[in-house]
Amino acid sequence: MAEALVIKGLSKRFGGLRAVQDVSFTVQENETVALIGPNGAGKTTSFHLITGFHRPDSGSVLAFGHEVVGLKPHDVCALGLARTFQVAKPFGAMTVLANVMTGAFLRDRHIAAARNKALEAIEFVGLSAKEQTPAKDLTTIDQRRLEMARALATQPKILLLDEVMAGLNPAEIDQAVALVKKLSASGLTIVIVEHVMRAIMAVARHIVVLDHGQKIAEGAPKEIVENPEVIRAYLGSYVHPPAQGDAHA
Amino acid sequence: MQTSSNMKWLWLAIGAVVMLAMPQLVTSSFAIDIFIRILLFSFIGVAWNLMGGYAKQLSLGHAAYFGLGAYTSTIMQVNYGISPWIGMIAGGVVAMLASLPIGWLCFRLRGPYFTIATIATAQVLMLIFLKFRDFAWGAEGTTIPNLGSAPLMMQFEEKSSYYYVVLGLLVVGLWITHRIEKSWIGYYLVAIGEDEDAAEAIGVNAPKVKRDIYMISAFLTALAGTFYTQYIYFIDPATAFSFNVSIEAALVSIVGGIGTLWGPVIGTVLLETTSALLQSWLGSSVGGIQLTVYSLILMAVILWRPTGLIGFATDIYHRTARRKPARA
Repeated sequence: MAEALVIKGLSKRFGGLRAVQDVSFTVQENETVALIGPNGAGKTTSFHLITGFHRPDSGSVLAFGHEVVGLKPHDVCALGLARTFQVAKPFGAMTVLANVMTGAFLRDRHIAAARNKALEAIEFVGLSAKEQTPAKDLTTIDQRRLEMARALATQPKILLLDEVMAGLNPAEIDQAVALVKKLSASGLTIVIVEHVMRAIMAVARHIVVLDHGQKIAEGAPKEIVENPEVIRAYLGSYVHPPAQGDAHA
Repeated sequence: MQTSSNMKWLWLAIGAVVMLAMPQLVTSSFAIDIFIRILLFSFIGVAWNLMGGYAKQLSLGHAAYFGLGAYTSTIMQVNYGISPWIGMIAGGVVAMLASLPIGWLCFRLRGPYFTIATIATAQVLMLIFLKFRDFAWGAEGTTIPNLGSAPLMMQFEEKSSYYYVVLGLLVVGLWITHRIEKSWIGYYLVAIGEDEDAAEAIGVNAPKVKRDIYMISAFLTALAGTFYTQYIYFIDPATAFSFNVSIEAALVSIVGGIGTLWGPVIGTVLLETTSALLQSWLGSSVGGIQLTVYSLILMAVILWRPTGLIGFATDIYHRTARRKPARA
């Protein structure tokens, strides 16, 4: 299995705030990795750094061996890294089909070809019935589906999903989980930021935990839920726990 | 599908015949003058709409390109005797080139800041043409030498000839808009207007797309500048770089429906007709009434129909025809 995404020493400061500090992790091809952590841990910032929306202060991001740091978001997308946004950003005035076609134009500028590609992506995410609906009229889950279809239409190799389950009800979460599994089964490498633990356990093979901008743990889902550092980060603690790997404490 | 396409061609054909026959049917020079104004501002609106409407980059500085077009062709004609037909294209090229640094500066800003920056560029250009007298006659401006009937120098005895020239410009503008609207560029423009970050995330090179459409928009606006100067036989910085031109370009599109092919045309017909009728009925008896009505129309549209008259008409059509709405 090849390495799809190699992140090394990624750091970003906003004024006095260290949003992301020296974060490193690797995503294997066709693997689904979850990025978790409490609010403000630096998950979304990491996504912005990886996809070119923010420029890291230091560190490197290799996508299939190509350095991505320093590229503009559209160039990152052209390299095969597509993302969705935490707050869905549909092109409200366009129909679902037009939204997804806009994504498809990256690889083929012909209307008919883009249309076919878009219809394929729309069917994949299960939005075919709403192909002609203006995007602004979609429900939350359908907006998330649209975001995924639009990203898929750019024919990515790596898909970064930012909290696609937020605000969904339990039944919708099951549908979203099924969709992420289906995406993975189609051969995509997926990095997913998520709060819904049930969903993470269902889709991720590997989990990276961030807290205050730093990676505090990494491993298989089972190890992560039992990791005391992770439990502390999520639930807090009265007594300072023994710091991991810190000899002089 | 076939019938709706046939209907469209039928309507276009009827429209074309009416537009071509108009100057033969209407002989009043006052009426022809209003028609010319309507066609001219429709054309400027169409040029503005490419960037301001589809990509929602609200420029209030298109007078910069109108003025550059006007001055380029006039300087070439008065100082070097070059035909304004050539000057018009040269003016378009000058405007296109000027849009590069202006766009480079203004597109760093988004929303209202972008709009303010565009206003500033047009004002700065006006000041440059006011101050540098050796360059272009300063504040007095100049008249265009009247050559009588000289079609090769874009001078005609009949007003109807001007009508056909500006009608031709409008047709070109609409044709370009139509081609853009139906291609990937149209999708990219609307995507940028809706959400620039989301557009970038799916591979849209937003700065490049905006730069390119701004160049086309500037080119077309400059053609209007040349035409207008030839039509009124006079140029000075205050007319050529008039803030009113910038406002009108945006206004007709907003009233008619931004980001639509026919929006600027419909907006201009409504606004110019109203303004001309009010002027002829009331004359100067009630000062400022024309502007008041103008403002009221604008407020009504923004409050109740932000999609413009086209959006209003489309809503009614869809409600009565019970069809699913098409792509925006």
